[in-house]
Amino acid sequence: MDGFSYYNIFETKGMEYLIIITFLALLIPFSIILNRKVKIRRQLRKAMGILNTGMLKIPQGVFHSRNHTWAHLLKSGVANVGLDDLLLHITGEVNINCLKKPGESIAKGEVMTEIDHEGRHLKIFSPISGTITGANTGLADNPGILNEDPYGSGWIYKIRPSDWKADTSSYYFAEAATDWSKRELEKFRDFLAATMPKYSPESSMIALQDGGELRDHLLPELPEGVWQDFQKVFLNPGYRWDNERELRKV
Amino acid sequence: MSENYPVTIDNDGKSIWKFLLSELKPKGKIFTPFNIISVPIVILGLVLIVIRFWKGIGSITNLTQDVPWGLWIGFDVVTGVAFAGGAYVLTFMVYILNMKKYHSIVRVTVLNGFLAYVFYAGALLLDLGRPWNVINPIIGNNFGVNSVLFLVAWHFLLYMIAQLIEFSPAIAEWLGAKRIHKILSGMTIAAVIFGITLSTLHQSGLGALYLMAKEKIHPLWYSEFIPIMFFVSSIFAGLSMVIFEGSVSHKVFSKQISNEDHHAQTGIIMGLSKICAGAMFAYFFLQVLVFIHEKHWDLLNTPMGYWYLLEMLGFVLLPMMLFYFSYRRSNILLIRIAAILTMLGIILNRLNVTVIGFRWDAAVHYIPSWMEVAVTLTVIFTEIWIFRWVINRMPVLRDAPSWAKKQE
Amino acid sequence: MSINRRGFFKVLGITGAAMAIGRDLKAAPYRNGEIEFRGVLYDSARCKGCRGCEYDCADANGLPLPEPAKDLPPIRKTSEIKRTVVNEYNTSKGKVFVKMQCMHCNEPACVAACLTQAMHKTKAGPVIWRGDKCMGCRYCMVSCPFDVPKFEYHSPNPKIQKCDMCYNRLKTGEMPACAANCPNEALFYGTRRQLISEARKRIVENPKLYVDYLYGEREAGGTCWLYLSPVSFKELGMKTNLHKASYPALTKGFLYSVPTIFVLFPALLAGIHQATRSDNTNKED
Repeated sequence: MDGFSYYNIFETKGMEYLIIITFLALLIPFSIILNRKVKIRRQLRKAMGILNTGMLKIPQGVFHSRNHTWAHLLKSGVANVGLDDLLLHITGEVNINCLKKPGESIAKGEVMTEIDHEGRHLKIFSPISGTITGANTGLADNPGILNEDPYGSGWIYKIRPSDWKADTSSYYFAEAATDWSKRELEKFRDFLAATMPKYSPESSMIALQDGGELRDHLLPELPEGVWQDFQKVFLNPGYRWDNERELRKV
Repeated sequence: MSENYPVTIDNDGKSIWKFLLSELKPKGKIFTPFNIISVPIVILGLVLIVIRFWKGIGSITNLTQDVPWGLWIGFDVVTGVAFAGGAYVLTFMVYILNMKKYHSIVRVTVLNGFLAYVFYAGALLLDLGRPWNVINPIIGNNFGVNSVLFLVAWHFLLYMIAQLIEFSPAIAEWLGAKRIHKILSGMTIAAVIFGITLSTLHQSGLGALYLMAKEKIHPLWYSEFIPIMFFVSSIFAGLSMVIFEGSVSHKVFSKQISNEDHHAQTGIIMGLSKICAGAMFAYFFLQVLVFIHEKHWDLLNTPMGYWYLLEMLGFVLLPMMLFYFSYRRSNILLIRIAAILTMLGIILNRLNVTVIGFRWDAAVHYIPSWMEVAVTLTVIFTEIWIFRWVINRMPVLRDAPSWAKKQE
Repeated sequence: MSINRRGFFKVLGITGAAMAIGRDLKAAPYRNGEIEFRGVLYDSARCKGCRGCEYDCADANGLPLPEPAKDLPPIRKTSEIKRTVVNEYNTSKGKVFVKMQCMHCNEPACVAACLTQAMHKTKAGPVIWRGDKCMGCRYCMVSCPFDVPKFEYHSPNPKIQKCDMCYNRLKTGEMPACAANCPNEALFYGTRRQLISEARKRIVENPKLYVDYLYGEREAGGTCWLYLSPVSFKELGMKTNLHKASYPALTKGFLYSVPTIFVLFPALLAGIHQATRSDNTNKED
């Protein structure tokens, strides 16, 4: 740049633009491949039997109540009700005992069924009020359907609702249900951390594997005391649990 | 509500040409006030454009050898592109930051941005002396890589393509093309990322165009930071335009908009005003910083100095305070006034750098001729016509058809 | 005054040498294998304002001949039909003339501005306009610190008009039209190196005649058209507030940040997008 002969300060600009084009072209496959691995990890975890939100089936058209029951209004005006997938993953395969018969009426918050596993039971409360028009008798013979298809053929009762809108107004729907399930899983983790030391200090080891992952179908391996606390915290209507200190008071 | 406008027809069995032809027929009233005003001006503008090509640019403009860029570049291109900045800000907020609240206005903003770029790039062709050579920098005769204008021109082109891809799912829904819709929706995020990068560079690039005119622009407006100033101000310029245009569209096309979207409008405007207030706060302090750095205190006490203070205090500081207070008091009317003031401020700023402050010391001051103004209005009105045509036919303001939603 | 034989040969020799130096591009002196810039040194002290250069320029470039002396407005600028003008100024030292035309900068702003490379800095020095590439965007006019390029606003096929140092004549070995026939040797054509040393020599030999400043040595990073003057350049209406470094360097910072942003932003934006994605459990199934 002596001022006496030709000098181009922008000599390399053409090359630079070519490098940019190459970069952008490579960035697309690079980021696609980078993100694809995450899916494989999730599938691995599912295969190893680790409980995570990736494995939950949460259909979008169904109302979820806080007590892990769901209700879905059909076009005929009758609603199906049942247990949600998260609860069934926690409890594993259970036997179901329908307490109500068709023709009877039921109120929201009334006990509608009991599920039990080797003597330990949990009471399930109805999400809506109305008249029972049908009960799924097939579940008694083949309880596995509950876990396989909790929202479809695993329905528990058909109820003609008396006040659908009022009953479901505070329930979770669609994406909100997905977010809520994630939070419930976290809540379950905290719940375990709070209760396990009370009942059996060593068994806290069973719940968590390396890396702090929860195992699938965990509840059957835990002591009776945990089942009772689980009932209070997760299934009883009206219970609000915001932190573990509350639970220690229970 | 939405019954007045047909849901997108799945035109299997109906030929695409018949469909497109039927879509060309006008919908709605013919003699609206807007039509009555805009049609004569557009016709006048077209006549003027013919004269421009027949007799040269000087026949309808007041451009001089000292001031080669006037209203068409300073207003149509530079200011118009600043206002189209809403597209990249909103797509950033919705697709990158995942702020779902603003999802309902993304499509109309991207449409606006796309049309703005197409029409202002088109207006640029009118300003070129030899428009048939415009393909030269594109095909390589030559690639003037040393030029900021080369960069800006290429970015305009690429950005239009990116915006078209972002908007194309709406076109696919209008045509009922399901498979193409799926492919195009998958490309959205890549187009958004590309578009935001391009926008950053060409918004600042428009400012960088003037970097070499160091002694030719009034010192109060010239600094090495012009590109950054243009970029930051494009953020709130675009959002103010979104607020303004959103208010107008909601009234004009209110039949198409669902109840939820009507209610959501208030929340959206409040959110946007908050962002504007923040951006303008930062911008104001940037200007103060540059002013202190350049040490032009003595220039404040001149006519141009008063003009500068008017722009900064009256059209940046004042609307910023208005946005701030009206957000705190949830006053939608004040927010709209603030948006209009901001837009005037942006017009003022861009014109100050490109036309008013450019060769402010020239013997003959440049004042645009009425013919330049007429052609500018022609471009703007034609753009609004196309905008209206699209809104009335494609699912931009109203909800997408159910098959499209299921694909997501 | 009589001239003796020695003096005669001395003058002949110097004239011959001067003419040989200002000869042609082909037999031009090279430095380190590179061709050097050529330019013109304009000496206001020698210029008598005959405006012959204006006529020669118009003639060589097919432009209309300039107005006769009696019809002249006081100060003229170059225009789309005048590539050069000679203006007369009444200064502190009497009448001084100044010839205005393109300065043929070392690193021209117009060349950096032109997106089609229609404005082209030739390796030999002159800055030329190539009409087959130009799209008439007039960005060169916006960027030029000397306001040199002029546009044919009233033509449907407009050209940019500016002095090109008669590049076509230079290629065949001739001098620029204005320099070839200047009767008072006010225009001196040579390599830029020669111009600068000649100018410095004149200033040293005639300190009372010239202001000690060579205009164009560093203005805009150096130009190939240099000026000597008996009075301050401000009195001659020339721009004295210009930046003494190249104008394209002002855009260099911006242009170099472009590739950087092109790399950083997509990576950053893609990363933020991944981080803020809400986990849609449906998608995993």
